[in-house]
Amino acid sequence: AFHICCNIGRISGLSGRRIPRFHLQRAFFQAWLNEKFAPELLESKPEIIECVVEQLDHMEANLKRAKRGDLKVSIHRMEIERIRYVLSSYLRCRLVKIEKFFPHVLEKEKSRAEGEPSILSPEEFAFAKEYMANTEIYLKNVALKHMPPNLQKVSLLKSVPRPNLDSFVFLRVLERQENILVEPETDEQREYTIDLEEGSQHLIRYKTVAPLVASGAVQLI
Amino acid sequence: ISRQVLWCPSPHCYLGPFNPGLPVEVPVWLAINLKQRQKCRLIPPEWMDVEKLEEIRDQERKEDTFTPMPSPYYMELTKLLLNYASDNIPKADEIRTLVKETWDTRLAKLRLSADSFVRQQEAHAKLDNLTLMEINTTGTFLTQALDHMYKLRTNLQPSESAHSQDF
Repeated sequence: AFHICCNIGRISGLSGRRIPRFHLQRAFFQAWLNEKFAPELLESKPEIIECVVEQLDHMEANLKRAKRGDLKVSIHRMEIERIRYVLSSYLRCRLVKIEKFFPHVLEKEKSRAEGEPSILSPEEFAFAKEYMANTEIYLKNVALKHMPPNLQKVSLLKSVPRPNLDSFVFLRVLERQENILVEPETDEQREYTIDLEEGSQHLIRYKTVAPLVASGAVQLI
Repeated sequence: ISRQVLWCPSPHCYLGPFNPGLPVEVPVWLAINLKQRQKCRLIPPEWMDVEKLEEIRDQERKEDTFTPMPSPYYMELTKLLLNYASDNIPKADEIRTLVKETWDTRLAKLRLSADSFVRQQEAHAKLDNLTLMEINTTGTFLTQALDHMYKLRTNLQPSESAHSQDF
């Protein structure tokens, strides 16, 4: 879809990574779908988002220069709207998860090792911290300060539910994987391993395949 | 993103690849939009043909498992093309019926499989020949039901700290 309107062969994000146009679209849609169907907040993808935003800006600029009433103009406009929709959906999906799991998201970010990819963009991180602070103030003013002194503390980390990594997800395999362990559902069953063939589709617990989603070996659908 | 061939008859098409009278491949969303503006004619995919679809429908009814479909988006394409471009598609009504019959057969099989999946408390299923539209019809319901069952099951035994919430 990007190819109709885009004149740039390669796009470089602010981080300096060059991403070929076709791969950008695919990576972007992949990230969007994964985020929609994963029960937890996934790694943030700053290079993809930067490139997409740059792409949008470039297309808007092109549009301003184009002749009016051109068929091309309306097609470009539709393309811009489509990309905007996906971008907006992606960012909102992340915000919903941040709000839902805020103490765990912040905890994960705090305990992240050096060099490990971040799950929050700088803006998202600021948002999460603010959200946490606001929630604490709200709880304090509405209820906690009226409680007897020994009950005035609440651990948000303990009381806010964690994402359910045991939920089932549908996926499509992009890169063949061998010996994926399937854990038993009941005590009578035993665990077994399966191979994931490229192009096949599966229904399985998210926990087992979480690293494969992160690496791009499978796509959630 | 599915592609659709369309034919541009009018001289209004300035875009590079669009030459009046020559077929060109475009994404479906663009094809539908141009068709709505009466700038082109849509050419149906080659599987959208009565004999072919009859074969597919009969094959699906014969097998217990899911047979591969001519397009991963067969349902969406049928609906869109028949809604917006039925004048470009020969025997549109027959085609609509045939695709619907195939769809119904497949959904019935899907409901059966989902039922047995839940009953036997399976941990994994392979769904190769299912299209996205079919998966999404029951998918959310199925995964949420499985999640609920999981929660009920793991709360039956007092387990180690991991899942319980303490205050």
